[in-house]
Parts: sequence; structure tokens; C-alpha cells
Amino acid sequence: MTEAMPPVPVPVASRVLAQSGLTRVRGWIGLPAGVVLVLIVGSILSDKFLSVSNLTNVLISMSIVGLIVVGMTFVFISRGLADLSVPATVGLGGILVLGLQPSLGSLVAGIVGVLAAAVAGFINGGLIGWARVNPVIATLAVGTIVLGVAQAFVGGVIVYGTDTATQDFINSRILGGVPVIVLIFLSVAALGHILLSRTTIGRYTYAVGSNPAASEASAVPVKFTRAFAFLLTGALGGFAGVILGLSLQTARPTLGIGYEFDAITAVVVGGVSLLGGVGSIPRAMSGLLFVQLLTNIMVLQGVPSPVQGIAKGAMIAGAVALDVYLRRRGGTQ
Amino acid sequence: MNGALVTDLGFALVRYRVLVILAVTFSVASIWVPGFFSAGTLSLSLDRAATMGLLAVGLTVVLLAGQLDLSGGAILAVAGITAIGLQESMGQIPAAFVGVMVGVLAGGLNAFLVVVLRINSLVATLASMLFIRAVGHYITDSRPVSGIDPFFGLTVSRPIEGTITGRSLLFLVAIVVLHFWLTRTVSGRNMFAVGSNFVSATASGVRSRAYLAGSFVFSGAMAGIAGVIQSLSVNTGSPVFGESIVLTAIAAVVIGGTRLEGGRASAGGTLGGVLTLGALTTAMEFQNIPAYIQQIAAGLILLLLILLDQLVSRRNSRDVGLRSLVRRMKALSRPHQEKERKHISHEN
Repeated sequence: MTEAMPPVPVPVASRVLAQSGLTRVRGWIGLPAGVVLVLIVGSILSDKFLSVSNLTNVLISMSIVGLIVVGMTFVFISRGLADLSVPATVGLGGILVLGLQPSLGSLVAGIVGVLAAAVAGFINGGLIGWARVNPVIATLAVGTIVLGVAQAFVGGVIVYGTDTATQDFINSRILGGVPVIVLIFLSVAALGHILLSRTTIGRYTYAVGSNPAASEASAVPVKFTRAFAFLLTGALGGFAGVILGLSLQTARPTLGIGYEFDAITAVVVGGVSLLGGVGSIPRAMSGLLFVQLLTNIMVLQGVPSPVQGIAKGAMIAGAVALDVYLRRRGGTQ
Repeated sequence: MNGALVTDLGFALVRYRVLVILAVTFSVASIWVPGFFSAGTLSLSLDRAATMGLLAVGLTVVLLAGQLDLSGGAILAVAGITAIGLQESMGQIPAAFVGVMVGVLAGGLNAFLVVVLRINSLVATLASMLFIRAVGHYITDSRPVSGIDPFFGLTVSRPIEGTITGRSLLFLVAIVVLHFWLTRTVSGRNMFAVGSNFVSATASGVRSRAYLAGSFVFSGAMAGIAGVIQSLSVNTGSPVFGESIVLTAIAAVVIGGTRLEGGRASAGGTLGGVLTLGALTTAMEFQNIPAYIQQIAAGLILLLLILLDQLVSRRNSRDVGLRSLVRRMKALSRPHQEKERKHISHEN
């Protein structure tokens, strides 16, 4: 039976397979290797670096932006460019949860905050998916309006909360020292990963990002899928704002400024392409981890914060340039 | 009356929406602000928008090329710091010149990232924005720097002969130059070609990559000029200047009818967008309306205009240019020709 088979395709196929296997390894090995390298460098430079308390601190500091990274990954993969309304949705979530806390209680106020931010995300999605407005300008306009509305809601002042019980719970550690905020982040990241890799909407997200025309022809709901990415980012931005507001018990309108760029940095360093169709939540998360560990090392080394900014800018440019170079050289995608 | 013509007249209103929205803003402003049309108020209103307008002139070209430049605010800050910080060692005018050169250099960095390293302009200029602003913090130790002579900067912020200020004049000159460059020169036309279709432009012998690079250098230079002007007028350079100015400038350019997809832009539109936002700010500040309401208004105007833009751009085949509309109104008396014309436009 086996001798009757045509011998030709086997070696050819295996050679192709071996090549694509190598490309595949080269595709994902870079970042984990980078993270390990940073860990080694960090532990050589400082003996405080590789301690449980320091690494826990790194996890806590990446938790809030990590929530947004999950949404931003969907936006990137669905070729939605980027969501610049994140500062507005974070601010909205934070202001609403503390503003409504006296009348509704923290939990309900938090839910209202997330829903309101989700509505903002839905408007983004509607404009981008159905009205085909450029994502940059759409999220810019919606972000401006939403932040204005959030400020108008409280009269443009800083909101203070009084629910110290919830604050203590969010800042506490459970299950033998795991911070609650990290648990929240990890479960959202896990849910996001399942959503992206195991469900229909996740598959649609990749399809829409890699070839919108072909997806449209294959009856993939392109508009809905693209809108969904922005809806998700809006809701997660609001959620991040709620958690941030509850853990600080103060919220100012500028609460979320900078989170959009931090999230984009993490996603880009994680090698998720702005051209869509490629990437995953774990990759984005390792990008985030890489950036955070590097920042942590610089802080421990007493590097002044302007230099950290310079390094961050150079890192984004370097990561994308490398990505573009590898793509052109490998001829993949 | 001719139904199609009425529809097209409606589309023409949408197409010249900058004028419409500008007229509306000015009417509202004149109701709210007594004496809004007095020379003093108008001059002040223009002066407030001039720095943002200079940035918008540069951004018009970048957006025309189908790219994005987020680094303008950071360039503005560092150029201003340079122009103020070097005054003591090299004199005021050379320092201002070096400040503008810093802008050119930063634009060159953007061009290198986008054209040579082929990084998407959104991410590339985001990276350079973080980088350049961090440089600003680094060289000043995050503290504002002061110039040697507060009176020197008055030349840019003082009204010339009781009319408009130096920086407003500079902005208007920049708009006029941009207009002539975009509409009357070969390189301006090539810029449109590069923006609407990069590949075809290259195939037609346009050095598209050079044009792309040029647009970033130009934008950097305009941001440099804006930064020098801004810092001179307050005799201070600070690394936190211009934190949100780029987004406002992009909004002004887009209100002016420029599309982020590239290939369409006009200097007049940008002027209209800048004036609209300037008048809006002046009117609302006069009425003591808080900044966040101004944000909502500006955001809504932006949103409305981009939605209208989508509406018109889907009917691209219809000719709603002013000349064509006038011709067709005249043609109403000669129905035969009109029918013929419609027939032809259908085939298109």
C-alpha cells in the first residue's frame, strides 16, 4: 500500500513544512526570549529585581493598562488601526463610578460606568463599522465628546469616593498573596484570549483583519466584527476606569490620559500588526510584560523618567521596524 | 423644478460645509459676543488660533499624503525650548532659527521612520512623539526655561498697526503659500497624486517616497515655527507645551474637508477649520462656558462634518462643483442639453 503512493510530494511537502515551522518559531520566539533576557539583565543589575514583592508590584502596575490591552488587541487584529478614545472611556468609568456611588452603591455604579463606556464604544464601532469613518478621527471625535460629557456630569471637578471597604478589597491580596486587581486583570485577559481564539467572533476578527473583501464575500459580518472590537475596547476602558476609580477613591477627568499610548505600545511591542490579521492576546500580554519589566529595571536603576520616555519611544519604533523587516525578509504575510 | 439639481444643490451645501459651518459659528458668536465683528475681537480670535493654525498647515500636507503626524505638539515644545534656551549663548534671532531647524530635524526623523523603516505613520509618530517630548523633559530637567528679554517676543504677539498680530499674519501667509503650492505647482499636484494612489503615482514617474518624506519634514518645520512663535510670545519654553494641540489641529484640518485617507485637501478648507474652532473658543470663553462644553461642541462639529463627508464621498460620481451647478442652473431653460448631460454622467 505504502509503496503504491507517489513518492514525489512527501519530501517536498516536508521541506516546506520544515521551513514554515522555522518561520513559525521565529515568529513567536523573539518576545519570550526578550522577556527572559530582561529578567536575566534585571536580576544581574539589581538584587531587588527578582524578588516576589517586586515582581508582584510589576504585575499590579500592568493590571489596569492590561485590561485595555485586551480590547486594543481586538482593534489591531481587526485592522481597526487604534482606539484613541481610551482616555475618555477610562475617565468616564472612573467619574461615573464615584459620582453615582452615593446613590447607587459601588457595584451598581460600577456597572453603570462600564455600560456607559460600552455605549461610547458602540458609537465608535457604529461610526467605524457602518459609516466607514476613519477610526483615528472617529475615536478622536467621540473621545472628545465623551470626556466633555463626563466632566459636565460632575461639573468639571475632581470626584471623591467614600467607599473605603471596596477600596480596601480591591487593593487587598487573596489566595495567599495574589492582589485582587491582578486576579481581575488575569481573568479578563483569559476571557479575552478564549474569545479571540476559540469563538466565532474571534475567528471573524482575524478574517476581517487579514482580508476584508474576502470576508465580506464569505458572509462574515465585517461591519459588526469591526464595531465589536471598538465596543469591547470601550467597555474594557470603562472597566479599567471603574477599577482605577474604586482603588483610588478619587477620579479626575484626566484619569485616563496616556493609557491609549501605553496600550498601543504594549500591543505593538508584542508584535501585533497594525495591518491586521496577525497577533494574539498572549503576544500582546508578553509585549506589555516586556515593557513593564524594562520600565521596572530603569526605575530600580534610578534612570530619570525622561530617559525612560526616550527608551519607550525608541522601543516602539524598534519593535515595529523589526517586525516590518522580518516580514519583508521572510516574505510571509 | 429639476429634482436632481435640487439634490445636487443639497450636496453642494455639504461639499462647501466649511463655509456653512463657519457662517453658523460666526453668527452664533456674533449673537453671544457683543461686537464680535469689531476688528479687535476678530484679531484676538485669529491670534488665539494662529499657533494651532500653523500646525494645521503642516498637517494638511501630511494628511493629504494619506499619513498622520501625532508628534507636532512635542516638536512644538522642544523647538520652543531650543529657541528660548539658546538665546543667551547665541542671540535671539539665531536661536529662533535653530528652533525651527529642530522642527525640520524632527520631521526628518519621522520621515526616516515612515519612509525608510516603513513603519505605519500612526505608530511611528506616536513613538517619535514620546521620544521628542522625553528629550524636552531631559534637556530642561522638566522645568520651564525663561528667555533673556520679554519684550523681544512682543513682535509676534503684538498687533501690527492695530490690525492683526505677527503670528496671525504668519499663519495667513502660510495658508496663501500652501494654497498656491497645492493648486498652482507641479509638485503640489504630485502631492495629490501620491496621496490618492501611492502605487499609481510611483508608476507614473512621481518619486512618491520623496514626497512622503517631504510632507513629514514640512510638517515638522511648521511645528517648529509654531513652537518658536509660541515660546517667544510668552518668553518661556516648557516641555509640557502643546500637549493636546495636535489633536485639535487634526480636527481643524478634517473640518476643512481633508480626508485621513489622503488625496484630498485644500488650504482654504484648513483656514475655515481653524477659524471655526478659533471663533468657537472665543465665543464660548466670552460666555464663560466651561472648557468641557467647548470640547463637546468641537467634537460634535467634527463628528457631524465627517459624517457629511462620508455622505458626499459615496456620491463621488456626481459633479457638484460650483461651476457645474451654475452651468446646470442656466441649463434649466434648455432642458434638452440637461438631459443629454445627465445621460452622460450616468454612463460615468
